[in-house]
Amino acid sequence: MKAVELIFSGDPNVIQVTLLSLRVSGLATLIGGALGIPIGAFVALRTFRGKTFVISVINTLMGLPPVLVGLVYYILLSSTGPLGFLRLLYTPEAMILAQLTMVLPIAAGVTISSVSTIDPRLREVAVSLGAGPLQEAAILLWEARLGLLTALVVGFGAAISEVGAIMIVGGNLLGYTRALTTAIVLLTNQGEFVEAIALGIILLALAFLVNAILTLLQMRSRSSLFAQTYTRQSQLKW
Amino acid sequence: MQKIWLILTAALLAVSLVLFTPTNPTSTIRSKLVIATTTSTVDSGLLDYLKPYFDARFDADMTWLYLGTGQAIAVASRGDADILLVHDRAREDAFLAAGNGIHRVTVMYNDFVIIGPANDPAGIRGAGEATEAFKRIAEAGESGRALFVSRGDNSGTHALEMKIWSALGLDPRGRRWYMEAGQGMSPTIRLSSEKQAYTLSDRGTWVKLKSAFGEALRLQILFEGDKILLNPYGLILLNPQKYPQINSELAEKFFLFMVSEEGQRLIDSYRVAGEQIFFPAFGKAEDIGLPSEEEEVQFWVKRLSESGLEPPQYVKQR
Repeated sequence: MKAVELIFSGDPNVIQVTLLSLRVSGLATLIGGALGIPIGAFVALRTFRGKTFVISVINTLMGLPPVLVGLVYYILLSSTGPLGFLRLLYTPEAMILAQLTMVLPIAAGVTISSVSTIDPRLREVAVSLGAGPLQEAAILLWEARLGLLTALVVGFGAAISEVGAIMIVGGNLLGYTRALTTAIVLLTNQGEFVEAIALGIILLALAFLVNAILTLLQMRSRSSLFAQTYTRQSQLKW
Repeated sequence: MQKIWLILTAALLAVSLVLFTPTNPTSTIRSKLVIATTTSTVDSGLLDYLKPYFDARFDADMTWLYLGTGQAIAVASRGDADILLVHDRAREDAFLAAGNGIHRVTVMYNDFVIIGPANDPAGIRGAGEATEAFKRIAEAGESGRALFVSRGDNSGTHALEMKIWSALGLDPRGRRWYMEAGQGMSPTIRLSSEKQAYTLSDRGTWVKLKSAFGEALRLQILFEGDKILLNPYGLILLNPQKYPQINSELAEKFFLFMVSEEGQRLIDSYRVAGEQIFFPAFGKAEDIGLPSEEEEVQFWVKRLSESGLEPPQYVKQR
């Protein structure tokens, strides 16, 4: 009960930590998706040598261990590291970078599998009707839009629940880089279980919210697809 | 279909509002200090307690990296923190000898305690020395009556534990009764409680955790008071020539704050569940049995008066 009270108390620290988590994981998902979806579409639609190998690599990277990503970025961004001049270590930007590295292969991988499941005849029809390569990709991606949406939601879910990478590159600095997950780790260590649970509930609620929006979109999208097909068929019959 | 786009656009708008709102509006105005420190100064709540006083006095924003001493020193030696507050003298001295740090004082101290299950299966309660207590734990461990949980994370506490084992000529690693947690003090204590095992803890983290968990933490202090269990914390100013990118100006201010009358008094007054956790140590090195730090103390007393800050009363009176 105390945990629930804390959530609605409007505690500025709780709000700040929640907003930071949303901002970091949200941007990581958007950027990771913006890069990963085209890569996935390219790989899925083109035939080239080593395609199977590339797909295997992407599938492997979908399970990138967050702590490894964190460690590599720490070494790169450390002030004596090769990218140290960017002064990014222990900033939200470094956290976004680490998370988008995890989101990108997820977005690419899910795109590949959802584009591949589209009826190949659609592609043939599009090409035979004179669609250029870009138009063709656009048509297929539109067909696969539910899959792409899933890619983004899965990516977001992985990002916002992740703790290993952002702990290392973010440093869990109060007021700067303390996110929901890293705050939970710290509070647990300090024996403040009530506050830790409160943040956990917020984390779950956010994940639920995003998934609920997706499910809603999927259902609407399906029903309208169905409606279209149905209308078309009845028109034909008529 | 239009409805979906409406929902999507609204969702996108809401999302971008969150995404592009800076989460810490003060961060660009106030100067940020990053302290690389040990888990005990954070878990005990000391830094949370000091923060508002330091922030107010220097219009600063004090933050810290929550690490073990080994990792804190590694992070600082890469120039990724502004100042070091740790507790492992041997590694601190090595850090200074490598030219990474230019000043060090013992800023505060407390002690380590050996905690374990109330029934004390190894019988360390009556031990004369910490080494004797460790020996009894090892013997009880070999005969399957006791367990010991080690930090196993290169922290200051871990370093002291290894020092005691090696004073006994023992290497417990790999023994069946010896577990390495690889975690901070607080998770290690909780693990020991679950396993009903012995462990070595700094008093600060122990008291804080005990007050948070109460009876749920099924451990007690079974041995304390040996000289070897003294736990002095060193404050180290990094070499600004070697690390030009750090906030050395604010780091020096933090150093001055910690050794000033105000800082030492605050450390002295911090209580957890009515118990004093840290004792001020600036200028008291010899009194608590450490090598003299007189040269450093003189230097910082001078810097304090140049900066218009008060040195602690007892230092001034000398």
